[in-house]
Amino acid sequence: MKKNNYWSPYLSGAGIGLALLAAFYVMGKGLGASSAFSIVSAVAVHQVNPEYAGHLKYFSRYLSVDSPFRDWIVFELCGLFAGAFTGALASRNFHLRLDKGHGMGNATRLFTAFTGGILIGFASRLARGCTSGVGLTGGAQLALAGWIFVISMFVGGFLFAAIFRKMWS
Amino acid sequence: MNSPLYEYDLLGEGASLIVALVIGFFFGFFLERGGLGNPHKLTGVFYFTDFTVPKVMFTAILVAASGLYLLSDLKLLDMDKVWIVPTYFWPQITGGFIFGLGFLVSGYCPGTSVAGLASGRIDALVAMTGMVAGSLVFAFLYPFLESFYMSAGMGAITLPNLFRINHWIIMVIIYACAGIMFYLMERYEAGKTG
Repeated sequence: MKKNNYWSPYLSGAGIGLALLAAFYVMGKGLGASSAFSIVSAVAVHQVNPEYAGHLKYFSRYLSVDSPFRDWIVFELCGLFAGAFTGALASRNFHLRLDKGHGMGNATRLFTAFTGGILIGFASRLARGCTSGVGLTGGAQLALAGWIFVISMFVGGFLFAAIFRKMWS
Repeated sequence: MNSPLYEYDLLGEGASLIVALVIGFFFGFFLERGGLGNPHKLTGVFYFTDFTVPKVMFTAILVAASGLYLLSDLKLLDMDKVWIVPTYFWPQITGGFIFGLGFLVSGYCPGTSVAGLASGRIDALVAMTGMVAGSLVFAFLYPFLESFYMSAGMGAITLPNLFRINHWIIMVIIYACAGIMFYLMERYEAGKTG
Protein backbone atom coordinates (compact mmCIF):
# COMPACT_ATOMS: atom_id res chain seq x y z
CA MET A 1 0.00 0.00 0.00
CA LYS A 2 1.51 3.32 -1.00
CA LYS A 3 1.95 6.00 1.57
CA ASN A 4 -0.71 8.68 1.61
CA ASN A 5 0.09 12.27 0.66
CA TYR A 6 -2.15 14.09 3.11
CA TRP A 7 -1.11 17.43 4.51
CA SER A 8 -0.20 18.06 8.12
CA PRO A 9 -3.33 17.91 10.31
CA TYR A 10 -2.30 21.22 11.89
CA LEU A 11 -2.15 22.95 8.51
CA SER A 12 -5.48 21.45 7.48
CA GLY A 13 -6.98 22.39 10.85
CA ALA A 14 -5.76 25.97 10.53
CA GLY A 15 -7.35 26.20 7.07
CA ILE A 16 -10.67 24.92 8.40
CA GLY A 17 -10.39 27.36 11.32
CA LEU A 18 -9.96 30.26 8.90
CA ALA A 19 -12.97 29.11 6.84
CA LEU A 20 -15.00 29.01 10.05
CA LEU A 21 -13.73 32.46 11.08
CA ALA A 22 -14.72 33.80 7.64
CA ALA A 23 -18.23 32.43 8.20
CA PHE A 24 -18.42 34.25 11.55
CA TYR A 25 -17.15 37.50 10.04
CA VAL A 26 -19.27 37.52 6.91
CA MET A 27 -22.42 35.68 8.01
CA GLY A 28 -22.51 35.94 11.79
CA LYS A 29 -22.91 32.18 12.06
CA GLY A 30 -20.65 29.15 11.75
CA LEU A 31 -20.38 26.11 9.51
CA GLY A 32 -22.80 23.20 9.45
CA ALA A 33 -23.64 20.01 7.61
CA SER A 34 -26.26 17.75 9.20
CA SER A 35 -29.29 20.00 8.68
CA ALA A 36 -28.80 19.68 4.90
CA PHE A 37 -29.45 15.92 5.27
CA SER A 38 -32.55 16.69 7.28
CA ILE A 39 -33.76 19.08 4.56
CA VAL A 40 -33.22 16.39 1.92
CA SER A 41 -35.16 13.97 4.11
CA ALA A 42 -38.07 16.40 4.58
CA VAL A 43 -38.25 17.23 0.86
CA ALA A 44 -38.05 13.55 -0.12
CA VAL A 45 -40.91 12.61 2.19
CA HIS A 46 -42.89 15.58 0.88
CA GLN A 47 -42.33 14.40 -2.72
CA VAL A 48 -43.49 10.87 -1.95
CA ASN A 49 -46.38 11.71 0.35
CA PRO A 50 -47.11 15.41 0.95
CA GLU A 51 -49.94 14.65 3.34
CA TYR A 52 -47.77 12.48 5.58
CA ALA A 53 -44.95 15.05 5.49
CA GLY A 54 -47.47 17.64 6.65
CA HIS A 55 -48.13 15.53 9.74
CA LEU A 56 -44.45 15.47 10.73
CA LYS A 57 -44.21 18.44 13.06
CA TYR A 58 -40.40 18.47 13.13
CA PHE A 59 -40.13 18.78 9.33
CA SER A 60 -42.45 21.80 9.19
CA ARG A 61 -39.42 24.02 9.90
CA TYR A 62 -38.00 23.06 6.49
CA LEU A 63 -41.22 22.71 4.50
CA SER A 64 -42.76 26.02 5.54
CA VAL A 65 -40.41 27.96 3.24
CA ASP A 66 -40.89 28.33 -0.52
CA SER A 67 -37.71 26.59 -1.63
CA PRO A 68 -36.14 24.45 1.12
CA PHE A 69 -32.92 23.87 -0.87
CA ARG A 70 -32.25 27.59 -1.10
CA ASP A 71 -30.49 27.29 2.23
CA TRP A 72 -27.06 28.47 3.36
CA ILE A 73 -25.93 25.06 4.60
CA VAL A 74 -27.11 23.28 1.44
CA PHE A 75 -24.95 25.66 -0.63
CA GLU A 76 -22.07 25.32 1.82
CA LEU A 77 -22.20 21.52 1.42
CA CYS A 78 -22.18 21.84 -2.38
CA GLY A 79 -19.05 23.96 -2.01
CA LEU A 80 -17.62 21.37 0.38
CA PHE A 81 -18.11 18.64 -2.21
CA ALA A 82 -16.42 20.74 -4.90
CA GLY A 83 -13.51 21.63 -2.60
CA ALA A 84 -12.94 18.05 -1.47
CA PHE A 85 -13.25 16.80 -5.07
CA THR A 86 -10.66 19.36 -6.18
CA GLY A 87 -8.33 18.33 -3.35
CA ALA A 88 -8.74 14.63 -4.15
CA LEU A 89 -8.17 15.11 -7.90
CA ALA A 90 -5.20 17.47 -7.50
CA SER A 91 -3.46 15.05 -5.13
CA ARG A 92 -4.41 11.95 -7.18
CA ASN A 93 -6.44 10.71 -4.23
CA PHE A 94 -9.64 10.08 -6.14
CA HIS A 95 -10.41 6.36 -6.47
CA LEU A 96 -13.84 4.84 -6.87
CA ARG A 97 -14.05 2.18 -4.15
CA LEU A 98 -15.86 0.75 -1.16
CA ASP A 99 -13.68 1.71 1.80
CA LYS A 100 -13.86 -0.61 4.80
CA GLY A 101 -11.99 -2.13 7.72
CA HIS A 102 -9.51 -4.94 7.05
CA GLY A 103 -11.24 -8.26 6.45
CA MET A 104 -14.74 -6.82 6.40
CA GLY A 105 -17.09 -8.09 3.70
CA ASN A 106 -18.78 -5.74 1.23
CA ALA A 107 -22.28 -6.53 2.48
CA THR A 108 -21.22 -5.92 6.08
CA ARG A 109 -19.68 -2.61 5.07
CA LEU A 110 -22.87 -1.46 3.33
CA PHE A 111 -24.76 -2.40 6.48
CA THR A 112 -22.40 -0.55 8.86
CA ALA A 113 -22.28 2.54 6.65
CA PHE A 114 -26.07 2.71 6.48
CA THR A 115 -26.88 1.93 10.13
CA GLY A 116 -24.08 4.21 11.37
CA GLY A 117 -25.56 6.89 9.11
CA ILE A 118 -29.02 6.40 10.64
CA LEU A 119 -27.57 6.83 14.13
CA ILE A 120 -25.76 10.00 13.03
CA GLY A 121 -28.83 11.45 11.32
CA PHE A 122 -30.90 10.83 14.44
CA ALA A 123 -28.25 12.02 16.91
CA SER A 124 -27.56 15.22 14.95
CA ARG A 125 -31.20 16.22 15.18
CA LEU A 126 -31.32 15.50 18.91
CA ALA A 127 -28.11 17.49 19.52
CA ARG A 128 -29.22 20.31 17.14
CA GLY A 129 -26.21 19.77 14.87
CA CYS A 130 -23.13 17.66 14.23
CA THR A 131 -19.35 17.86 14.42
CA SER A 132 -19.47 21.01 12.24
CA GLY A 133 -22.55 22.86 13.45
CA VAL A 134 -22.22 22.15 17.17
CA GLY A 135 -18.68 20.76 17.64
CA LEU A 136 -16.52 23.13 15.56
CA THR A 137 -18.83 26.15 15.53
CA GLY A 138 -19.92 25.92 19.17
CA GLY A 139 -16.41 24.94 20.26
CA ALA A 140 -14.90 28.02 18.61
CA GLN A 141 -17.56 30.28 20.15
CA LEU A 142 -16.63 28.74 23.52
CA ALA A 143 -20.32 27.78 23.69
CA LEU A 144 -21.05 25.17 26.34
CA ALA A 145 -23.03 23.20 23.72
CA GLY A 146 -19.93 22.65 21.56
CA TRP A 147 -17.74 21.35 24.36
CA ILE A 148 -20.28 18.99 25.92
CA PHE A 149 -21.11 17.59 22.47
CA VAL A 150 -17.47 16.97 21.55
CA ILE A 151 -16.62 15.38 24.90
CA SER A 152 -19.70 13.17 24.80
CA MET A 153 -18.94 12.15 21.20
CA PHE A 154 -15.41 11.05 22.09
CA VAL A 155 -16.64 9.19 25.17
CA GLY A 156 -19.18 7.34 22.99
CA GLY A 157 -16.60 6.61 20.28
CA PHE A 158 -13.95 5.28 22.68
CA LEU A 159 -16.44 3.18 24.60
CA PHE A 160 -17.93 1.51 21.54
CA ALA A 161 -14.50 1.09 19.91
CA ALA A 162 -13.55 -1.03 22.93
CA ILE A 163 -16.63 -3.16 22.26
CA PHE A 164 -16.30 -3.27 18.44
CA ARG A 165 -12.55 -3.83 18.45
CA LYS A 166 -12.30 -5.36 14.99
CA MET A 167 -14.42 -2.88 13.05
CA TRP A 168 -11.62 -0.60 11.80
CA SER A 169 -8.34 -1.53 13.47
CA MET B 1 -17.91 48.18 13.34
CA ASN B 2 -19.96 46.71 10.53
CA SER B 3 -19.51 43.00 10.69
CA PRO B 4 -20.94 40.34 10.56
CA LEU B 5 -21.49 41.76 7.08
CA TYR B 6 -24.71 39.84 6.43
CA GLU B 7 -26.24 40.96 9.73
CA TYR B 8 -25.46 44.59 8.81
CA ASP B 9 -27.19 44.15 5.43
CA LEU B 10 -23.96 44.68 3.53
CA LEU B 11 -24.65 41.43 1.71
CA GLY B 12 -27.85 40.25 0.05
CA GLU B 13 -29.33 36.78 0.35
CA GLY B 14 -28.12 35.76 -3.11
CA ALA B 15 -24.59 36.92 -2.34
CA SER B 16 -24.68 35.01 0.95
CA LEU B 17 -25.28 31.79 -0.99
CA ILE B 18 -22.21 32.49 -3.15
CA VAL B 19 -20.27 33.05 0.08
CA ALA B 20 -21.60 29.66 1.28
CA LEU B 21 -20.19 27.99 -1.85
CA VAL B 22 -16.79 29.67 -1.43
CA ILE B 23 -16.44 29.01 2.31
CA GLY B 24 -17.71 25.45 1.79
CA PHE B 25 -15.12 24.97 -0.95
CA PHE B 26 -12.24 25.79 1.39
CA PHE B 27 -13.80 23.75 4.20
CA GLY B 28 -14.02 20.70 1.91
CA PHE B 29 -10.60 21.25 0.38
CA PHE B 30 -8.86 21.35 3.77
CA LEU B 31 -10.93 18.42 5.07
CA GLU B 32 -9.84 16.24 2.16
CA ARG B 33 -6.22 17.42 2.29
CA GLY B 34 -6.11 16.68 6.02
CA GLY B 35 -7.22 13.11 5.32
CA LEU B 36 -10.71 13.57 6.74
CA GLY B 37 -12.44 12.00 3.75
CA ASN B 38 -10.78 8.72 4.76
CA PRO B 39 -12.75 6.60 7.27
CA HIS B 40 -9.57 4.85 8.48
CA LYS B 41 -8.12 8.19 9.56
CA LEU B 42 -11.51 9.39 10.86
CA THR B 43 -11.94 6.43 13.21
CA GLY B 44 -8.24 5.98 14.06
CA VAL B 45 -8.48 8.11 17.18
CA PHE B 46 -10.93 5.67 18.77
CA TYR B 47 -8.36 2.87 18.41
CA PHE B 48 -5.30 5.00 19.29
CA THR B 49 -3.85 4.42 15.81
CA ASP B 50 -4.29 7.86 14.21
CA PHE B 51 -4.89 11.18 15.96
CA THR B 52 -5.73 13.22 12.87
CA VAL B 53 -9.31 14.01 13.97
CA PRO B 54 -8.50 15.65 17.32
CA LYS B 55 -5.47 17.42 15.81
CA VAL B 56 -7.49 18.94 12.96
CA MET B 57 -10.52 19.64 15.13
CA PHE B 58 -8.78 21.38 18.02
CA THR B 59 -6.46 23.34 15.71
CA ALA B 60 -9.51 24.59 13.80
CA ILE B 61 -11.32 25.49 17.04
CA LEU B 62 -8.27 27.33 18.42
CA VAL B 63 -7.71 29.33 15.22
CA ALA B 64 -11.37 30.29 14.83
CA ALA B 65 -11.89 31.03 18.55
CA SER B 66 -8.77 33.21 18.74
CA GLY B 67 -9.83 35.12 15.64
CA LEU B 68 -13.43 35.51 16.76
CA TYR B 69 -12.63 36.86 20.23
CA LEU B 70 -9.77 39.00 18.91
CA LEU B 71 -12.00 40.63 16.27
CA SER B 72 -14.65 41.18 18.92
CA ASP B 73 -12.19 42.75 21.41
CA LEU B 74 -10.79 45.01 18.67
CA LYS B 75 -14.38 46.13 17.97
CA LEU B 76 -14.11 44.82 14.41
CA LEU B 77 -16.96 42.36 14.88
CA ASP B 78 -20.18 42.72 16.81
CA MET B 79 -20.41 39.56 18.92
CA ASP B 80 -24.01 40.36 19.86
CA LYS B 81 -24.98 39.74 16.25
CA VAL B 82 -23.23 36.38 16.02
CA TRP B 83 -25.64 33.46 16.38
CA ILE B 84 -24.28 31.45 19.30
CA VAL B 85 -25.04 27.70 19.32
CA PRO B 86 -27.69 27.24 22.06
CA THR B 87 -27.13 24.72 24.82
CA TYR B 88 -29.67 22.03 25.69
CA PHE B 89 -27.57 20.10 28.15
CA TRP B 90 -28.96 16.55 28.30
CA PRO B 91 -30.19 16.34 24.69
CA GLN B 92 -26.69 17.36 23.50
CA ILE B 93 -24.92 14.96 25.86
CA THR B 94 -27.19 12.13 24.67
CA GLY B 95 -26.97 13.19 21.03
CA GLY B 96 -23.17 13.42 21.24
CA PHE B 97 -22.94 9.93 22.72
CA ILE B 98 -25.15 8.31 20.04
CA PHE B 99 -23.27 10.36 17.43
CA GLY B 100 -19.98 8.86 18.66
CA LEU B 101 -21.36 5.36 18.07
CA GLY B 102 -22.67 6.31 14.61
CA PHE B 103 -19.34 7.93 13.73
CA LEU B 104 -17.45 4.77 14.72
CA VAL B 105 -19.81 2.38 12.91
CA SER B 106 -20.20 4.35 9.67
CA GLY B 107 -16.67 5.77 9.65
CA TYR B 108 -17.91 9.29 8.87
CA CYS B 109 -19.71 12.32 10.22
CA PRO B 110 -22.02 14.43 8.00
CA GLY B 111 -19.42 16.87 6.58
CA THR B 112 -16.70 14.26 6.19
CA SER B 113 -19.08 11.84 4.44
CA VAL B 114 -19.42 14.42 1.67
CA ALA B 115 -15.60 14.68 1.52
CA GLY B 116 -15.47 10.86 1.44
CA LEU B 117 -17.87 10.72 -1.50
CA ALA B 118 -15.90 13.48 -3.25
CA SER B 119 -12.81 11.25 -3.08
CA GLY B 120 -14.71 8.34 -4.67
CA ARG B 121 -15.96 6.39 -1.65
CA ILE B 122 -19.24 4.63 -2.34
CA ASP B 123 -19.61 3.66 1.33
CA ALA B 124 -19.73 7.40 2.14
CA LEU B 125 -22.73 7.77 -0.18
CA VAL B 126 -24.41 4.88 1.65
CA ALA B 127 -23.67 6.56 4.99
CA MET B 128 -25.19 9.80 3.64
CA THR B 129 -28.34 7.90 2.69
CA GLY B 130 -28.43 6.56 6.24
CA MET B 131 -28.19 10.12 7.61
CA VAL B 132 -31.18 11.16 5.51
CA ALA B 133 -33.08 8.13 6.85
CA GLY B 134 -31.98 8.89 10.42
CA SER B 135 -33.37 12.42 10.14
CA LEU B 136 -36.71 10.90 9.16
CA VAL B 137 -36.54 8.50 12.13
CA PHE B 138 -36.11 11.54 14.38
CA ALA B 139 -38.98 13.42 12.73
CA PHE B 140 -41.16 10.29 13.02
CA LEU B 141 -40.37 9.87 16.74
CA TYR B 142 -40.49 13.63 17.44
CA PRO B 143 -43.90 13.55 19.20
CA PHE B 144 -42.35 11.22 21.79
CA LEU B 145 -39.02 13.04 21.91
CA GLU B 146 -40.19 16.65 21.93
CA SER B 147 -40.30 17.13 25.70
CA PHE B 148 -36.75 15.73 26.06
CA TYR B 149 -35.56 17.67 23.00
CA MET B 150 -36.73 20.93 24.54
CA SER B 151 -35.45 20.12 28.05
CA ALA B 152 -32.40 21.46 29.91
CA GLY B 153 -32.29 24.59 27.75
CA MET B 154 -29.59 27.04 28.86
CA GLY B 155 -29.75 29.44 25.92
CA ALA B 156 -26.70 30.90 24.19
CA ILE B 157 -24.42 30.22 27.14
CA THR B 158 -20.64 30.26 26.70
CA LEU B 159 -17.88 29.03 29.00
CA PRO B 160 -16.83 32.62 29.93
CA ASN B 161 -20.49 33.39 30.95
CA LEU B 162 -20.84 30.12 32.80
CA PHE B 163 -17.68 30.49 34.89
CA ARG B 164 -17.89 34.29 34.98
CA ILE B 165 -14.30 34.76 33.90
CA ASN B 166 -12.62 36.57 31.02
CA HIS B 167 -12.67 34.68 27.71
CA TRP B 168 -8.88 34.88 27.37
CA ILE B 169 -8.45 32.92 30.60
CA ILE B 170 -10.59 30.16 29.05
CA MET B 171 -8.54 30.46 25.84
CA VAL B 172 -5.23 30.11 27.70
CA ILE B 173 -6.54 26.98 29.46
CA ILE B 174 -7.65 25.52 26.10
CA TYR B 175 -4.29 26.43 24.48
CA ALA B 176 -2.45 24.69 27.32
CA CYS B 177 -4.66 21.57 27.21
CA ALA B 178 -4.41 21.36 23.40
CA GLY B 179 -0.65 21.88 23.54
CA ILE B 180 -0.19 19.06 26.06
CA MET B 181 -2.58 16.83 24.09
CA PHE B 182 -0.78 17.47 20.76
CA TYR B 183 2.60 16.81 22.41
CA LEU B 184 1.43 13.50 23.87
CA MET B 185 -0.13 12.41 20.56
CA GLU B 186 3.06 13.21 18.62
CA ARG B 187 5.17 11.36 21.16
CA TYR B 188 2.85 8.35 21.13
CA GLU B 189 2.86 8.22 17.30
CA ALA B 190 6.65 8.62 17.15
CA GLY B 191 6.98 5.77 19.64
CA LYS B 192 4.81 3.47 17.53
CA THR B 193 6.66 4.05 14.24
CA GLY B 194 10.16 4.53 15.58
